[in-house]
Amino acid sequence: MPELTLKHDPYNLIITGVGGQGNVMTSRAVGNMLSLLGFHVTIGETFGASQRGGSVMSHVRISKDSSWSPQIPSGHAHMVVSMEPSETIRVLKDFGNRDVKVITNTRPFYPVGVISGQISYPSDDDIRTWISELTSKAWFLNATEKAVAIGDPILGNVIMAGALAGTGELPLDREVFHTIMASRFSGDILQKNLDAYAFGVESVLSRKI
Amino acid sequence: MSPLSSGKKGSRHLFMGNEAIARGALEAGVRVVAGYPGTPASEIIENLAKIAKEGSRKLYVEWSVNEKVALEVASAASFAGLPTMAVMKQPGLNVAADYLLHLSGSGVRGPMVLVSADDPGALSSVNEGETRYYAKLMEIPLLEPGDFQEAKDMTTWAFKLSDTIKNVVLLRTVTRLSHASGTVVLGEIPENGSNAFFKHDGFILDPNEGAILSPPVEYKHTEQQRKLKIAEALFEDSPFNTYTGPEKPELLIITSSICSLYSKEAVSILGVRDRVGILKLGTTWPLPPKRLLKHLSSCDHIFIVEEVLPFLEDEVKILAAEHGKTLGAKFFYGKKEGYLPMVGEMNPDKVAAALSRILAMPQPGMDDVYKKRATEISFAGSPHREATFCPGCPHRASFWTLNTALSMDNRNGFVCGDIGCYSMAVLPAGFSTLKTLHAMGSGTGVASGFGKLGGFGMSQPVLSVCGDSTFFHSAIPPLVNAIHHHSNMTLVVLDNSGTAMTGFQPHPGLEKDAMGNVAEKIDIPEVCRALGAEVRVCDPFDVSESRQVLLDLMDRDGVKVLVLKQSCALSPEKKSLKKYTMSVDQSLCAGENCGCNRLCTRIFACPGLIWDKENNRSRIDEVVCAGCGVCSSICPKGAIMKKEAV
Amino acid sequence: MRILGSSELCEDVQKKDLCVDCGACAGLCPYFVSHKGKIARLFPCTLPQGRCHAFCPKTEIDLNHVSETIVGKSYDGSPLGHMRAIWKTRAGRLMQGKGAFQNGGTASSLLVAAMASGLIDAAALTRRKGLIPEPFLATSTDQILSCAGSKYMASPTLASVHEYSREKGQKLAVVGTPCQMTALGLIRMNPLGREDFHDPVALSMGLFCTWALDTRRLIRLIENRVNLQDIQSMDVPPPPSQVMTIRTCDQNLAIPLDEIRTAIPAGCSICPDMTAEFTDLSVGALEGDPSWNTLIVRTEKGESLVEEAVRQGYLERDAMRPEHLEHLRKGASAKKKRAFIMARDKHLLNTDPAKGPSALIIKEDLVKKLLGEEGSCLH
Repeated sequence: MPELTLKHDPYNLIITGVGGQGNVMTSRAVGNMLSLLGFHVTIGETFGASQRGGSVMSHVRISKDSSWSPQIPSGHAHMVVSMEPSETIRVLKDFGNRDVKVITNTRPFYPVGVISGQISYPSDDDIRTWISELTSKAWFLNATEKAVAIGDPILGNVIMAGALAGTGELPLDREVFHTIMASRFSGDILQKNLDAYAFGVESVLSRKI
Repeated sequence: MSPLSSGKKGSRHLFMGNEAIARGALEAGVRVVAGYPGTPASEIIENLAKIAKEGSRKLYVEWSVNEKVALEVASAASFAGLPTMAVMKQPGLNVAADYLLHLSGSGVRGPMVLVSADDPGALSSVNEGETRYYAKLMEIPLLEPGDFQEAKDMTTWAFKLSDTIKNVVLLRTVTRLSHASGTVVLGEIPENGSNAFFKHDGFILDPNEGAILSPPVEYKHTEQQRKLKIAEALFEDSPFNTYTGPEKPELLIITSSICSLYSKEAVSILGVRDRVGILKLGTTWPLPPKRLLKHLSSCDHIFIVEEVLPFLEDEVKILAAEHGKTLGAKFFYGKKEGYLPMVGEMNPDKVAAALSRILAMPQPGMDDVYKKRATEISFAGSPHREATFCPGCPHRASFWTLNTALSMDNRNGFVCGDIGCYSMAVLPAGFSTLKTLHAMGSGTGVASGFGKLGGFGMSQPVLSVCGDSTFFHSAIPPLVNAIHHHSNMTLVVLDNSGTAMTGFQPHPGLEKDAMGNVAEKIDIPEVCRALGAEVRVCDPFDVSESRQVLLDLMDRDGVKVLVLKQSCALSPEKKSLKKYTMSVDQSLCAGENCGCNRLCTRIFACPGLIWDKENNRSRIDEVVCAGCGVCSSICPKGAIMKKEAV
Repeated sequence: MRILGSSELCEDVQKKDLCVDCGACAGLCPYFVSHKGKIARLFPCTLPQGRCHAFCPKTEIDLNHVSETIVGKSYDGSPLGHMRAIWKTRAGRLMQGKGAFQNGGTASSLLVAAMASGLIDAAALTRRKGLIPEPFLATSTDQILSCAGSKYMASPTLASVHEYSREKGQKLAVVGTPCQMTALGLIRMNPLGREDFHDPVALSMGLFCTWALDTRRLIRLIENRVNLQDIQSMDVPPPPSQVMTIRTCDQNLAIPLDEIRTAIPAGCSICPDMTAEFTDLSVGALEGDPSWNTLIVRTEKGESLVEEAVRQGYLERDAMRPEHLEHLRKGASAKKKRAFIMARDKHLLNTDPAKGPSALIIKEDLVKKLLGEEGSCLH
């Protein structure tokens, strides 16, 4: 196996979304893949009642030689993978920088304040413009829509993990994803996960997004 | 089988802090583990319960009714010679503290570790209580892992230490360690050990064969302090106390727990590795004086990084004062000097900011221009996201009932809150229905007191709520109290069939235990009836029936109990199963007009029901909706349709 | 007549204890409900104008405007309002043995006649569940008769007008107290100019009222003396008795009126209307003879119903004795004066808009005339 390298050490990846969207699952899957490849991975996350329907964030730190703080210092993210468009912006406010890259799901999950009409939700156009302004590279895809088509909105996470692999930012590959997934699922569910992952990879590689 | 039990010695794994602690206990040969669920501690027992269920090793794991009982259950195994562990979140340690005081006085036989998890910053708590002071108060040793490997290794060693000193050892973890994951290299899990036998026939003062008790107090207390001295001596050479940095640093950071990683990060950000040393302590009570004095004599400027209160800071200052003659004057930079806040959790940024201030360096942080622009954008681009009940959550329906019943009753009634997901009913998510919120079971205790104030002219109806798990944990004694004293109150038990907030751990009201075995189910309504309360049971999804029953109960004197029973939307049997397919008939929806004014989305505000701005009508978000059907019963126009899902 | 939203309604009416639980605001929306004789707002509504406020008889009521719209004549402050005729009446031969009436059974008889003639197909009435009165939409003769009897307590009767209205019906009779009849007038005026409005009312029948009682306060007064579920009827016999009698199957309770008056909501004290002036017909007791009623006929529609009911035998009528009429006038006039003085003292009469809302608006010179204060200065 050739020596795997990181673009930064530690490489700081943030996976964000809304409680209930399956963030923990994604960060665990990505972390397990990188751990299997021999990296020291530290994942910081919180869960519990305060996260119900609230913003959630996992900080994944990837290093060749040691554990790092489970909280990334402000302004130090290298990549943000976001299950929810407005959450992308929230993360960039605290952890973004001119060089940061972003993959974002475009399907909004409305906060109760928006549902109750006290605040408004930004338009898709504004979100794209703003995210592009705050990043060096941004990919947009409607992972939820595709996931529903495959059979379960929760697969949106797997699509996003696939998209992350597609960017080539981290040494993720299909083999190791298959290994991780096969240790948990089989049959139809495994196949749906693999399909979702492949769709994510393809979305980025085909530059359609 | 999970790598937690099957992982081979020397293999590397990505473990959550709590998994590492669980593995550490297995490597120490733990036999009995008891605890009560509480974020961020729950996964320790959950994982061990799974392993016990696998059945490949002798292991008994239980979710006890509360933390005090958990400590008692675990200690029994120790008395019978087995390695044992009790696990809880910090507020649970307060519950267990009465027993702990006596247990630490009596001492133990089999090695016994007490794990207590703090939640600095109250990420999933309503307090940020401290475990560390208990070590000092109870005169028992305290260990604090600083990373994931240590979480495992120190847990194993904690058992050894307990075995050496024959007393309980306290292991403190925090949310950012328990719930974070990192790389852990595994050790060996020993084969099954000895059988359980409680020796009690010996001389009463014989620590191995006599009765186990805390008196005679003077003798036992002296013994306890002698044990602590042994621990102190062992701490002097502990590999869990490490130093990295120059021999004579300009500044010495003294830190412990996850704050050691924040300190490392801060030093790295500022690029001051050659100027600043980090003394990371794993054994924080009693502090190893020689080890500390050695470092204190190498540097006059001391920066202490810890969370939440200045525990280390105070102890180090005392030590420095005691040795002032030889050490000379020291300059401290800690919480009391205002370098770090005395509330909330730490993070790399706070530590780096304080460090730059101490070293008179420019403060690190985000590029100003970028930060300014990103903040501007986020103002419109990331609308505030308030925590709310999940789509399909029975609590939303229950609090709708409680809130509207209290309004209709029109006597300024109120609800005393308790600990669980339903604590969120202090927020608009629960229509701001809860008016007091404190400890587990306190809602009913406080209500019992309010219910006696009629003699002082108080005529407001008094309600309390508690969850099913909380009911068993600590709502029964206040309920007994209220009934005994003829208090006027209504307890509403929000029974969602599990300890939902922490991940569906079983409790005495369910038919299975932590290990999945059949357990004796204790019926909440029957218990309340037997105590003498008037009891009614309703389905909170039947909003009008529940409300009428509650209104009737509130009209009567004495102690009444309403059990609102409906499983949590995230419960394994319900998850991703929609009972109803929901839709909005937009031709019937009144929208913002008089006669409705968006009751469903403006007030009820379930995330599954959204406001379609273009059509000025409500709409179901099919991806989010859980299909509980409750919104159809609150729509005044009958525009929200439910259809049995196929 | 300014129309505002639900928050102003709570502020200006409920918090001032002016609410009489008439039911005009209940059942229109999910926010206002009546429970045990009291209106509750469940959640705030943010609309700047709502029907709840527009229909309330205790928000700024311009009596002249209401009178002109409903009766077609300006408000002149005459004690009994505009009327075409006044009679003493009682249930006719067709009604004999049909019900236990409080007095002469005039209201029930007229409703039965109206339903028989096809003038109405339903009646918004009040029945009692134990002590607590509740609205009831009667659609048959038997149902009408089951509601006979005085209640002496406010009930949200008008909520069932809204219920009937939703079904697009247009032949409803509404029977209620003067405040409820005022509110009914407001409802029929369609004050918010809604396009989907239609008038559901075919007949409005008012009941004489000096005051009503707050249900909860009355319960507190009597709950330790009588089993509330057993109450069969209640009555306030004419002076000089000075008691309210409550009858159950096995007991007759007499409670001094001084005690009872403590349960009168403040809203009644500013009400200038004893005989329900904005109606087709108004019915009350007849002084000195509990087996008859007083009936005031106010509109042509009311008149033709009465004529027909008498002709067919539903109703028996006779001329009213002049001294009884004079007594009635005096009583009504005294109530008006008391109400105007009380409203003025509470700054609820023709209040300077800058200083807060009025409850009543009447031409200043008319107030002066009615209070006998011509030439004096109103503060």
